[in-house]
Amino acid sequence: MGEGGEGRVSPELELRVTSDWSEVGRVNQEVSGFLSASGLSPEGVDKYTMVVCELVENGIKYGHFGGGRDTVNVRVWISGTTISVLVSNPVGNYTQTYLSELDRTIQWVRGFQAPFEAYIARMKAISREPLDIDKSGLGLVRITYEGQALLDFYLDENDTLSVSAVSNLE
Amino acid sequence: MGKVQTFTNNQLTIDVADEERTITVHFLGKSILRDPNEFVMPILLRTLGEAIPARKRIVMNFRDLAYMNSSTLTPVIKILERARVGEGQVTVEYRKSLKWQDISFSALVIFQTPDGRIVIEGTD
Repeated sequence: MGEGGEGRVSPELELRVTSDWSEVGRVNQEVSGFLSASGLSPEGVDKYTMVVCELVENGIKYGHFGGGRDTVNVRVWISGTTISVLVSNPVGNYTQTYLSELDRTIQWVRGFQAPFEAYIARMKAISREPLDIDKSGLGLVRITYEGQALLDFYLDENDTLSVSAVSNLE
Repeated sequence: MGKVQTFTNNQLTIDVADEERTITVHFLGKSILRDPNEFVMPILLRTLGEAIPARKRIVMNFRDLAYMNSSTLTPVIKILERARVGEGQVTVEYRKSLKWQDISFSALVIFQTPDGRIVIEGTD
């Protein structure tokens, strides 16, 4: 729990996640438990658990781990009527393609009047792709549509990528 | 009740029940698979391959799915499109009262066909 304004305590969760895929299940469970305990409705719990899990999945898939930089760091905090998620992971040279794609996707989603339109456009594109292409590119779009979150990212001088998703609680 | 085959991977279970007029693909649990294309896609493709010549309707039942990552939707979308442009008959069933299911699955209505071959159905 973190300190909010005027001495209020803002609910906050921090997790360190290894690059093992089975960690996604643990994140799902812990985030869901945290959000429930923070008083969110079952709908809110589902929605923001999805936001965190989609970002963690990307962190594990596209992170560059090794040399003591072996974790995806997750922070979820609620402040007033806003819920924020920050997922950070190390990146390397070969993840430059992912960074460009991340930037392109975020800009692309922002180009739509409503996230729903981006979601539909992405689904249509997926439907036309060959069956053996396993990359969906739907996760970020889903975060903006279903999670109603604003996405952003930054890369620091230590080659750590941080992706944020900020939503207004209903 | 016809033959039922059960497939499990991590927290996801898929029951495939072959009956007289339908083949029901029932998703249960949580789908947090890294690569659903390796697990879900072969099951759906095989089901589609069996259903079309037998003129059976595939019922994809997601009502008992507690969580699904976005990657899991990819094989579903591709199978729906394949059925849509071919001769497949598919009904997607989801739980309308679960908001995440309603938001995720109702969008699949873009694959629905006027002749009722592809149906997206949210029920409580």
